[in-house]
Amino acid sequence: KQLMAMEITQFLLAAQSADARVRTEAEGSLKQFQEQNLPQFLLSLSFELANNEKPSESRRLAGILLKNSLDAKDSGRKELLVKQWCAIDLALKSQIKELLLRTIGSSVPEARHTSAQVIAKVASIEVPQKQWPELVGSLLSNMTQPESPAHLKQSTLETLGYVCEEISHHDLVQDEVNSVLTAVVQGMNQAANNAEVRLAATKALLNALDFSQTNFENEMERSYIMKMVCETACAKEAVIRQAAFECLVSIASTYYEVLEQYMQTLFELTAKAVKEDEESVALQAVEFWSTICDEEIDRQEYDSPDTGDSSPPHSGFIEKALPHLVPMLLETLEKQEEDQDHEDDVWNISMAGGTCLGLVARTVGDGIVPLVMPFVEVNIRKPNWRSREAATYAFGSILEGPTIDKLAPMVAAGLEFLLTATKDENNHVRDTTAWTLSRIFEFLHTPDSGFSVISPQNLPRIVGVLLESMKDVPNVAEKVCGAIYNLAQGYEDAGASSSLLSPYLTEIIQHLLAAAERTDGPESKLRSASYETLNEVVRCSNLLEASGIIGQLLPVIMVKLGQTMDLQVVSTEDREKQAELQASLCGVLQVIIQKLSSKDETKPIIMQNADQIMMLFLRVFGCHSSSVHEEAMLAIGALAYATGAEFAKYMPELFKYLQTGLQNFEEYQVCSITVGVIGDICRALDDKILPFCDQIMSLLIQNLQSDALHRSVKPPIFSCFGDIALAIGGHFERYVATALQIMQGAAQVCAQMDTLDEELMDYGNQLRRSIFEAYSGILQGFKDAKAELMVPYAQHLLQFVELVSKDSLRDESVTKAAVAAMGDLADVVGEKIKPLFSNFTFCGEFLSECLDSEDEDLKDTARWTQGMIARLMVT
Amino acid sequence: MADVGSASNRRDPIKSSVGNVAGQRRRQQAVTVAKERRESLVRAKRLCRVGTNGGDDEDARVENEMMIDEEQPVLESQTVKAVEELKSAVQSQGKGAMQKRVTALRELRRLLSKSEFPPIDAALTAGAIPLLVQCLSFGSPDEQLLESAWCLTNIAAGKPEETKALLPALPLLVAHLGEKSSAPVAEQCAWAIGNVAGEGEELRNVLLSQGALPPLARMIFPDKGSTVRTAAWALSNLIKGPESKAAAQLVRVDGIVDAILRHLKKTDEEIATEIAWIVVYLSALSDIATSMLLKGGILQLLVERLATSNSLQLLIPVLRSLGNFVSVDPKAMLTILVGGQNTEDTDIPDQISENVTNVLAKCLRSEHRVLKKEAAWVLSNIAAGSIEHKRMIHSSEAMPLLLRLLSTSPFDIKKEVAYVLGNLCVESAEGGDARPRIIQEHLVSIVSGGCLRGFIDLVRSPDIEAARLGLQFIELVLRGMPNGEGSKLVEGEDGIDAMERFQFHENEELRVMANSLVDKYFGEDYGINE
Repeated sequence: KQLMAMEITQFLLAAQSADARVRTEAEGSLKQFQEQNLPQFLLSLSFELANNEKPSESRRLAGILLKNSLDAKDSGRKELLVKQWCAIDLALKSQIKELLLRTIGSSVPEARHTSAQVIAKVASIEVPQKQWPELVGSLLSNMTQPESPAHLKQSTLETLGYVCEEISHHDLVQDEVNSVLTAVVQGMNQAANNAEVRLAATKALLNALDFSQTNFENEMERSYIMKMVCETACAKEAVIRQAAFECLVSIASTYYEVLEQYMQTLFELTAKAVKEDEESVALQAVEFWSTICDEEIDRQEYDSPDTGDSSPPHSGFIEKALPHLVPMLLETLEKQEEDQDHEDDVWNISMAGGTCLGLVARTVGDGIVPLVMPFVEVNIRKPNWRSREAATYAFGSILEGPTIDKLAPMVAAGLEFLLTATKDENNHVRDTTAWTLSRIFEFLHTPDSGFSVISPQNLPRIVGVLLESMKDVPNVAEKVCGAIYNLAQGYEDAGASSSLLSPYLTEIIQHLLAAAERTDGPESKLRSASYETLNEVVRCSNLLEASGIIGQLLPVIMVKLGQTMDLQVVSTEDREKQAELQASLCGVLQVIIQKLSSKDETKPIIMQNADQIMMLFLRVFGCHSSSVHEEAMLAIGALAYATGAEFAKYMPELFKYLQTGLQNFEEYQVCSITVGVIGDICRALDDKILPFCDQIMSLLIQNLQSDALHRSVKPPIFSCFGDIALAIGGHFERYVATALQIMQGAAQVCAQMDTLDEELMDYGNQLRRSIFEAYSGILQGFKDAKAELMVPYAQHLLQFVELVSKDSLRDESVTKAAVAAMGDLADVVGEKIKPLFSNFTFCGEFLSECLDSEDEDLKDTARWTQGMIARLMVT
Repeated sequence: MADVGSASNRRDPIKSSVGNVAGQRRRQQAVTVAKERRESLVRAKRLCRVGTNGGDDEDARVENEMMIDEEQPVLESQTVKAVEELKSAVQSQGKGAMQKRVTALRELRRLLSKSEFPPIDAALTAGAIPLLVQCLSFGSPDEQLLESAWCLTNIAAGKPEETKALLPALPLLVAHLGEKSSAPVAEQCAWAIGNVAGEGEELRNVLLSQGALPPLARMIFPDKGSTVRTAAWALSNLIKGPESKAAAQLVRVDGIVDAILRHLKKTDEEIATEIAWIVVYLSALSDIATSMLLKGGILQLLVERLATSNSLQLLIPVLRSLGNFVSVDPKAMLTILVGGQNTEDTDIPDQISENVTNVLAKCLRSEHRVLKKEAAWVLSNIAAGSIEHKRMIHSSEAMPLLLRLLSTSPFDIKKEVAYVLGNLCVESAEGGDARPRIIQEHLVSIVSGGCLRGFIDLVRSPDIEAARLGLQFIELVLRGMPNGEGSKLVEGEDGIDAMERFQFHENEELRVMANSLVDKYFGEDYGINE
């Protein structure tokens, strides 16, 4: 029995009509169809996509709608879609899958491409659940059938690539992996296949590489794959060469350990590409070396702490290739684009080369200096701007990695030259010069640790030059901001020398404010760079000397923020611009509040202005009806800390925005920041937060239970439980049952997480830590009054700690939180749960593991917990 | 997904703008700051001991041990920080500076009061003393003086070298004892000085030379209040000797004897306790004081206290004072004991005098070893008195107690009891060194009470004084028991063996005494008659 699909071509075409009314109506109909009968809807879309008679426009949209019915960026939505798909009748699903597999053989390229993508989406759901066992076989048979047309092979390879991208290599058995890999590598064979097939095969290999652990361990298979990739890297077609180099990049990071025997070939191949190939290919060739650097830097960093673990092998490829690699990279530096844009998203061969040079410097340290300096010295005074810019860029790139001893004399000798070069006739040269100065201040200006290229003698000249260059064209001014940023940061916590910058603060701040006002640059880049630099200057200043200046800056920023309310807002763009400006100004206020409230002497400045500042923030909120302003919220957190219990008076007005913030699932960062600010307010208000707690707790609980909220917000919410409990103490009683139930549920989720998914494990660690923080807050909150309420949950807490203690992948911070919560339990609940502690024998072992830790903080916590448990056992 | 690869291999260029990264870093910093604040709040809660279910002493003890093991480093680092705070507070000027100093002092005081083992060393190393001295300067607000003196008090409560660290602070502490200071400030200073005086002779001499005694003495003049008690306690520490000049200086303070007598008469036991300690040292160290106090009728007051109080703290110094007075002036005791006989300036009701031995008996019965020993000591002094004294004790309810204590109690009490019993059996030798006359009636009843074994045990003890006491009693038994049954009794309790140990004893007196007794009573003729 075959289900009848509905004819939906008209709707699909109408939904792309230029006439808005027609479009809206069609979209409505499609939506209605989808909601009323999802299985039929999907089937109809599949028919549309599979049918060669249909117009390509309707087929394209059908494919997109199918894809969007199976996958979404938002994790909550994705989960829902997966559930819906799984609920569909098996027969109907296999009909859809049949249609999709048929479509990759279509004569219409676009339909093949789309269905390849949709197949991968279905595979991502069904292959892990072993519900589409025939998929791989079916695809492979397309490759082995002698009569298969080239276009079928091409889309089959494309499909295989996408499927490999979607699923994990644990989802296939080794036999399947072998077959897939064989098919893909054969598809790369130049003699047997046309360009499209080879391109598809090469791209598929890129995704299949992750599956090939076993094959790469076998030298014969590995060498065969490497030979095919290297051959493909010399293909006639640039796109294929590019794809092959992308494979090499991926191999460099995944199979670094086994590359030794191929390095000579790979060097020649990449050097040739960098020298003479098209830029898109050359970029990948440079990327290959950058990736090798990444691997070696990782291994070096892994090596340095004496953990005793066997670190992965370091083959020193960069060190060995250095004499040839560096000249190759230096050569790229002179290939600048004539009218190079100074946007961050510009990426070309000279930038890639400089970036790689920086990585090489970090990999080999001092060794790079003698190889680069002659190039710098020869080129930096040449009449051709490309030479001067390349020389400066090379110099700036190698400032991180080599020792200060090695760099200091050169930098000292070159500093005056660079200061003069800020007046170079060429914009690019000035840009790179300012950037190089900012790198010098970043790496060679740390008075805190005893070294700085800046002395009281040359500081006036440096500040003078920088401030003068602040008036240069926007892209240069922006780099100068970076230089001032690093200059200021060096003086943070620098004791007496932190005063050195104090005399210039007024002038620096004036120039930064002026730069922020400029309108001659693209978008708001200079403005945001100016304000962030201003923030760093304020943050790192010597407060006792700068308090007057910061005190004067405060009203200036307040006025500016006030003025943003009067901006004319007509379009969405106006609204965005206003919000951006407000973001910058709220950011400055946040830093000023934090700085001034850090000392008793200056705190009154904030207290005196608190009412007005708060009013401004409320007005900022008022400007944006749909959402809550993230930066304003962050600044409010700082204000709550500064004002302490006084903050209570703002709560009636602020509260609705806190609620809105908590409900903003779309912009989950806003939600997350709001959760954090509620924590700040709890600490400021203590039990004065009580009247708002019912509503806050309800929202927090709803958020935790919602699939629609980004998961990254959930850990902060559990921590916030702890904050609230600490603030209201025994009053938390009314929430304890619900809160604990959810905490136990979340703990369960942690226990079932896929330990191979690194990103998920990272989340799991955050979640576990936050659950323990919630336990700690609730326990300590109940300490004086309601300790007995926690008796029923003691067992669960200890089980959870036990589980965590047995997880070798746990983060140190999770360990700390777990040990602390265990101590809190012993400290607070005491006597009644004594037998539990005797039953959980893991405690002793876990504690002694913690006591052996290198982390002093963890050791302290473990000692305290040990004391709490000992006290319990002795009495 | 459509553009697999082409965008994936793009990395961030080394040459990037400061704006984006800086903003992210700033927001991250804000989150980190909040995290740190949360951690420090929970940490504070964890360390907060108040309000936990620490009920009995046992709990508290365990907790304190925990404190040293687990939290001492935390406490020390907090202390160093508190001293730093104080330093900056002391340097700061102008509005709010005073409040800041008080806040800093209070924090330091809180830390120094925190555990059984306050972080004194940490405070000293961090340089607390000069700062605290500065906070004691004249004209400072009371709150500041109080907190500062409190800190010094707790520091002075530490180990000897820590107490000594207060030397630079002593002149100002003494200065604030004066009448111009408010009572709480003066009291706190007295407390600190009391701790210093308790440390030893050397520091006591320093305090005396700086004039601490007269103002302290005047502080006990008022009728009541914690100030009186603290000052009295400090004063007793200051005069405790062994040198007597402080005690002598104290008696010369006008009105001091009246004040002492007045406080002993009042019912406040806590004040009376400290005052009684003053009396202990005065009666031990100063003849003038002793006679002035006796003249003032102190014995009657002491006996009243003895009869009416159940406080161990009070009974100990009262008993010791009584003992002191009796040993210095046995006649004085007579006036108490033989109440009916009028003496020139006392008029003690019979009732009380009869109670004295019973009150002492009560002390002998007490659980407290110190009380037993002190009571036995007083009784021994009384028993050294006239025949009437001896009769009174002999007929009192103290007798069975004394007999039992001789055989069962620890050595120090046993020795005191032996003195009592021994004294009861002989008449006091008035001058001359003739052998004392035996009161046979007492001797017979005491020996039949089973005390001989106890005395013979004393003979065996390495303590010369106790051995002598034992030998003396054996002599009494051998000489004084009717029908010569003494030698049999002594032999029956292995007395010969005990005495023969002295044949070659290094102490000549004991050797001669033992040898002559053995020769005389157990010589060649011994046993022939049987």
